[in-house]
Amino acid sequence: MIRQHGSGVLVAALSSAFGVALLQGTGLLTAALRADGTTGTSDTVAALLRITSAVFLGLALYAGAVVTTNTFAVIVAGRVKAIALRRLLGSTARAERGAVAREGLVVGAVGAAIGVLVGSVGVALIAAGARVADVLPATPYSYANPEVLLPAAAVVLTTWLAAVVGSRRVLAVTPMQALGGAEEVSEEESRASALRSAAAIVLGAIGALLLVGGVALGVVSFAGLLVAFVGGIVSFTGIVLGAHLVIPRALRLVGRLMGGSATTRLAAENAVRYPQRSTRSTVGLLIAVTLITTFGVAIRTFGDMIEAAAGNDPVYYANTEAMLTAVTTVFSVLIGFSAVIAGVGLVNSLSLGVLQRTRELGLLRALGFSARQLRRMILAESGQLVLTAVLLGLVLGTVYGWAGAHSLLGAAHGAPGLLFIGFPWALAGIVVGGGVLLTLIASVAPSRRATRVAPVEALGAL
Amino acid sequence: MSTALPVQPRTAVDAVAQVHQVVKRYGSGDAAVHALRGVDLEVRRGEFVAIMGPSGSGKSTLMHLLAGLDSPSSGEVWLGEREIGALDDTALTLLRRERIGFVFQAFNLVPTLDVIGNVMLPFELRGAKPTREERDLIGRLLDELGLADRLGHRPRELSGGQQQRVAIARALASRPRLVVADEPTGNLDSRTGREVLALLAGAAANHGQAIAMVTHDPVAASYADRIVFLADGRVVAEEGRMEAERIARFMLSLEADR
Repeated sequence: MIRQHGSGVLVAALSSAFGVALLQGTGLLTAALRADGTTGTSDTVAALLRITSAVFLGLALYAGAVVTTNTFAVIVAGRVKAIALRRLLGSTARAERGAVAREGLVVGAVGAAIGVLVGSVGVALIAAGARVADVLPATPYSYANPEVLLPAAAVVLTTWLAAVVGSRRVLAVTPMQALGGAEEVSEEESRASALRSAAAIVLGAIGALLLVGGVALGVVSFAGLLVAFVGGIVSFTGIVLGAHLVIPRALRLVGRLMGGSATTRLAAENAVRYPQRSTRSTVGLLIAVTLITTFGVAIRTFGDMIEAAAGNDPVYYANTEAMLTAVTTVFSVLIGFSAVIAGVGLVNSLSLGVLQRTRELGLLRALGFSARQLRRMILAESGQLVLTAVLLGLVLGTVYGWAGAHSLLGAAHGAPGLLFIGFPWALAGIVVGGGVLLTLIASVAPSRRATRVAPVEALGAL
Repeated sequence: MSTALPVQPRTAVDAVAQVHQVVKRYGSGDAAVHALRGVDLEVRRGEFVAIMGPSGSGKSTLMHLLAGLDSPSSGEVWLGEREIGALDDTALTLLRRERIGFVFQAFNLVPTLDVIGNVMLPFELRGAKPTREERDLIGRLLDELGLADRLGHRPRELSGGQQQRVAIARALASRPRLVVADEPTGNLDSRTGREVLALLAGAAANHGQAIAMVTHDPVAASYADRIVFLADGRVVAEEGRMEAERIARFMLSLEADR
């Protein structure tokens, strides 16, 4: 039980620690500002910091909820036999699902509590370091800040919701399954509703139109940014909502690019075997890569446009460049935290996939798959998921970033034409490098497990 | 165990696979369990051998050793002119890939591959394209087994009997030294089961394929050229072709002696 929920607790703790750290950090900075400057400015800054923190926390919570939903769906798939037996003995489907949901509540509460502790202690340590280095004034600040209960409560709530959504399949378990044979247990819930798909397509289309409109309006007015901003949010919501339509297709495409050997072909098929699971394990990564790229491209294009518009004033430009790089870095790190949570989900999903396929892996070993080929197959599977998220995210982010910069500055005097784009190569390199690293890390544990089981044992497993 | 190089026991001409005085122990010391206590067996070219015995008799362990899925605690396992008992995991993997065909009771096929993908899998694992001759053989096999119009189907779209026939096509396609079948009819209705057994017997008689089949079903064993009876990790009897009824009676007597 505890081992099954390890990753759920980890994800809840990560989200909670992140939220608490953001709040404690803002609280600390606000206190320092209040002691230092005029009250008016510090209040505005505090409000801005709060809003920004809330946005980043929301991202982390969403990434965590998606991962946890997946975890619970897989846990339920592993328990079908036990649930069916209890149903056979008279338990109701509702009671069974309720039990899973309660586990979600406990997982959320434990994770949130750990997060409050880790987040507060982490900020306190960093603050102590900053004071020693004389970067931060020694302003008194109490870490017993009741506000930290907000992210903790949000984590408990989203984890519980994720457990409720992830346990939907419990309702489909029949008592007959306790008697059944060795049939492969599917974890796919009923197909995503047509309503959801329709909403995703409509939102995507409206958002795209607004985005184009914003860029067009940007040529004549600064107000273009507002239209494009709404368009970006609406269209991206459409993409995330319709991820079950987009990601499996993208996975197939990337799978075809991976080559035609037996190992890579099997890996490609495995990656789309449970489309919902694969979608959930890539969507968090996709969001993070898209946002990071959006910021990177927007800020780089923005900077380059200012440079072009301002003519050749190197001193002025050097200052803007430094400031824009700093902003990109801070935002990338904060968004990157959601990518870490998404990474936990990826490791989890690959490990459980190997666990569920024990017999199949035994069959492959019997037929002559070497341990090396098995490892390569799992690595290819992991790479396919990561590569899909990274490629899709880079493309989407480039479009959004370009649209953002042009809708804001298109009307500026001396601005270059709409084809102008500044691509942050260094940032993209870091994103791709992070993707490669994640691919390798995510495949370590599942590979070890897959190659450790002897073929005879694997064939006997059910 | 002697340190001298093993010499292949020349007990039978045409022996494709042999085990010689094999012992398989699980665990050690007082807790050791003997699955096999010194078994001799050979399978010849073109011979369909059934290995029978009550549960716990060691028949599955014997099959695992013959198939290079496991190694004996002592004794020798020969595949052709090669002693395979002491090979490491990688060597055994390559050996299985090239020399052994498998038909299991259930879960024979990779669910994500279609029929032709499953049949071609052993070739792809070797990284070798099948020769023209092998391609012809595969085409003939799929025709004979009535699978020619199902090549693009996934396993879950096939009946149990069809799935088992795909497994047989895969096992025969690469012309392995030995085909190992573990309760190949265990999950089938009796009519489909008889068809599958006739196919295996035909492969032995017509194509010279050596087949070792583990079963506890007297009807299945009655299709074999020779039946080896195991009890408590020892060979207790070895007979030629037998009627199902006589096999059943013999099995009951084995159970009664225990």
